[in-house]
Amino acid sequence: MNELRATVAIVRHHIDRKFALDFAMQFVLLGILGYVFAPTFGNVLPVVVCGALAATNAAERAHAATLRGVSWFAMPLFGRQLARAHAIAPVLGALAIPLGYATGAALRGAPFPSQALTGAILASSVAVLVSLSSVFRDGLRAALYVGIAIGAVVTIAFGELAPHGLALAATLALVEGFFALRAFGETLARYDPIPAV
Amino acid sequence: MTVVRACGASFSRDGEEIVAPFDLVAGSGDVALIAQPTAFAASIAARMCAGIVKPTTGNVFVGDFETRLQPPQAKRLVGFVDAAGFDGDDHAFRCETAFRADVWAVDARDAHARAQAVFAAVAGGDETQRRYARALALALVPDVAALVLDQPTRRILDRVRAFAPGVAIVRSHVGIAAVRDAVPEREPVAS
Repeated sequence: MNELRATVAIVRHHIDRKFALDFAMQFVLLGILGYVFAPTFGNVLPVVVCGALAATNAAERAHAATLRGVSWFAMPLFGRQLARAHAIAPVLGALAIPLGYATGAALRGAPFPSQALTGAILASSVAVLVSLSSVFRDGLRAALYVGIAIGAVVTIAFGELAPHGLALAATLALVEGFFALRAFGETLARYDPIPAV
Repeated sequence: MTVVRACGASFSRDGEEIVAPFDLVAGSGDVALIAQPTAFAASIAARMCAGIVKPTTGNVFVGDFETRLQPPQAKRLVGFVDAAGFDGDDHAFRCETAFRADVWAVDARDAHARAQAVFAAVAGGDETQRRYARALALALVPDVAALVLDQPTRRILDRVRAFAPGVAIVRSHVGIAAVRDAVPEREPVAS
């Protein structure tokens, strides 16, 4: 078994036309948001907004239906290997949100500082990693993971305000992202794909 | 040689028993039957034998590997065909074949040739048969020791041996008595 080949195949499987369309739409919508609100939002609120949007986007139900398919679980991979492979495309897709906002803000003449943009990228990535675990849960438990993702985003956004803020935000993102990915791997390892009744 | 073995394997959800404990032995070249009272239970039992669903009690072994403890090693030996088949057109089928060749690390060109040959030989006229034949062709992309067929048709059973002569076949079916009467199994299975 060549794990890298399998991972690349799964990432390519996720990066299809729908992915590109979603990326473009998010980029444009956040560009508009950035253009309209950049002068009033400041530097912390956009990080929270970007992270929250990334979290809810990663948890969307259509995405859940795809990832719960039985064929993923027939593949000879451990849960953690499958988790890594499943996480790459959504994290890449979530980049559209902070990049779109930053582009809109720049077009408005109120550029998003590079430190805030880095924070927004980190927050969006962590939000996706936490929120992916909600894909394999329903109802309140799924919503709880989205809530945890937004909580993680808030810690990163306010971490940026501290002295050496970027380093603190990056450390928080690394720790939270690591545990989120581990939790997602555990979720996949425990999940039983039951057929529809 | 025993390829798939289940010992008192059952499945429950929210305290409700869906698959009652069953034993099963399938050796190379055998066809083993898991009969269940409903299509839902039959699908879950098939998935248990393929290492996809973990048994609540008991154990399932594929080769020497316990499906709960060593799922990738067990799944590497099994091809699983879902009752719904593969829901995609010819283009999606070709893409999925290439995808599986990458995941199972087999030669893509060989995988395409094999998948097309299996599909051409097994597919019937109606769409349901074609969907199942595509799923079967995809399950045979890797070189497997066992094939788990979830509620296959008679036509599939008749033709699958040509492509998997030494493979242990485990098949699920809905209804117990009628199936045992209709299909002679080399390795009868209690369910």
